[in-house]
Amino acid sequence: MTVIEKGALSGGSRTWLLVGLPTLFLLLFFVAPTLYLFSASVMISDGMPLDRPTPENYQILLGRSFYQWVILRSFGVGIGVGLAVVLLSYPVAYFLVRTTSRWKGLLIAVTLSPLLASVIVRTYGWYVILNQEGALNGLLVWARLVEQPLRLLPSTAAIIVGLSHALLPYGVLSIMSSLNGMNPALERAAMSLGATRTGTFLRVTLPLTLPGIMGGFILAFSLAISAYATPAILGGPATETMATSIRNFMVAILDWGLGSAMGVILLASSLLLLLLGSVLGGRKRTAA
Amino acid sequence: MSLHRTELPWATLRIVVGAVFAFILGPIVITAAVSFNGTARSVFPPQGFSLRWWSEALEWKWLDPLIFSLELAALVALVSSLTGTMVAFAMVRGQFRGKALVEMLLMGPLILPSLVTGIALLQFLHAMGLGSFVGFWGLLIGHVIICLPFSVRTVAIALKTMPASLEAAAASLGASTGSVLWRVTLPVIGGGVFAGMAFSFVHSFTDVNLSLFLASPGERPVTVAILSFLEFGFAPTLAAVSMISLFIPLLLIMVLQRFVPIGDFLYAQERPNE
Repeated sequence: MTVIEKGALSGGSRTWLLVGLPTLFLLLFFVAPTLYLFSASVMISDGMPLDRPTPENYQILLGRSFYQWVILRSFGVGIGVGLAVVLLSYPVAYFLVRTTSRWKGLLIAVTLSPLLASVIVRTYGWYVILNQEGALNGLLVWARLVEQPLRLLPSTAAIIVGLSHALLPYGVLSIMSSLNGMNPALERAAMSLGATRTGTFLRVTLPLTLPGIMGGFILAFSLAISAYATPAILGGPATETMATSIRNFMVAILDWGLGSAMGVILLASSLLLLLLGSVLGGRKRTAA
Repeated sequence: MSLHRTELPWATLRIVVGAVFAFILGPIVITAAVSFNGTARSVFPPQGFSLRWWSEALEWKWLDPLIFSLELAALVALVSSLTGTMVAFAMVRGQFRGKALVEMLLMGPLILPSLVTGIALLQFLHAMGLGSFVGFWGLLIGHVIICLPFSVRTVAIALKTMPASLEAAAASLGASTGSVLWRVTLPVIGGGVFAGMAFSFVHSFTDVNLSLFLASPGERPVTVAILSFLEFGFAPTLAAVSMISLFIPLLLIMVLQRFVPIGDFLYAQERPNE
């Protein structure tokens, strides 16, 4: 259709000149290492190469209650963060899409600006707020709501708060694109047929933006279960997640077999969720 | 035209949105305030005013990893946008065997948790006898892998939205294929290339999950340096370092936004994700 298509890039072999090297690079440094991870996860890492794979690493991680809790806690954090992100970002996305304010551009920029800060920067702020002599405790003691400063850290709740904050922009982006893609005539039609504002929102707007909500939830969930910095800073040994346990296996305990197996479990959970999302999304589309 | 009749009670919404905005900005504002704290503890409200944490943050101990991060991110942005532009051309304009496979391969790093990519690459480098790559080279390879999907996407969007008639017009006026590419196509998709570069820079500069495993003691980005310092406790110096590492990408995007509508690519990017 275009000139370039007919000219420079006509032959398949010439196109391969463009994608060949990047493809090779990804095969060598992305696909091969990922496959290697699978094989490492069925080895016992005491330096002795085994001739037969063993399920021992998985038996330990899935069988011992400590690690079962690590995996369950990660899922709990993922669900909590996903829900919080969707709940908090929906009103913001709705406002940003519908507002006629001339500050709209600036407000969108402010909403998305946390993406420019490393998750460490954002989590550090939460440490300052939540630690024992932090801002929140200072406020509570000053207001005489508590007598002693509360021990808010380390805790799973703090991890959920910190990650929800860090991942909020993804939810806003996802829901905004869903709201932008919606035909505004549908809302007007519902209203003109006598639906109340709340009724219109609940029965027209909300169902139509469900794909954006789902997308935001899944994105937040999968980024939350693989996040390291926030659980490391706001949590402790008692609130270990899959990501922090992988770091422990790889760097502190130096058991790369267990680390790899936990990596595969994390990978599988993440892929399973994405698959679930696309199946649900697909069914929604065919039903509509 | 007016949508106001169909909207939820607007005043309530504004209050809720205001609260969420406070939630978004609160921790960053508080970090900024703590960096001027007079005491050595990370307390809020700050007690007294002092610039000593900022002067500590500007010592070589912190400047070294900051400069390392800057160099790494710049190189990653360059490599991934050059490669990404080539690949995007092939994906949008070309027809070749195995295209669907290449497409899947390109999206892989986006779908897999980068933490897993990090430990996979770490072990693979060691297994291949390339243990000495851990550090700068390992980080470069890893960051390019996770940034490539961004560059390919932004350039592909620019290529797809560009009117084909532009190239046809240039060609019918006698421009050669190379000249059309150099003087028409590249200037038009330049915005996409720069947006991809900016995303890659920010992505590399703020990465934790991958760098965590691929950094070496002498060659580590500022995020890893902050994390390892955190293991020994908190100090307001970190608030100042955090602020500096927040300003760098912010400044970059603000300058770039003057020339390229980066925001457009941010929306367009979300669509394939659904």
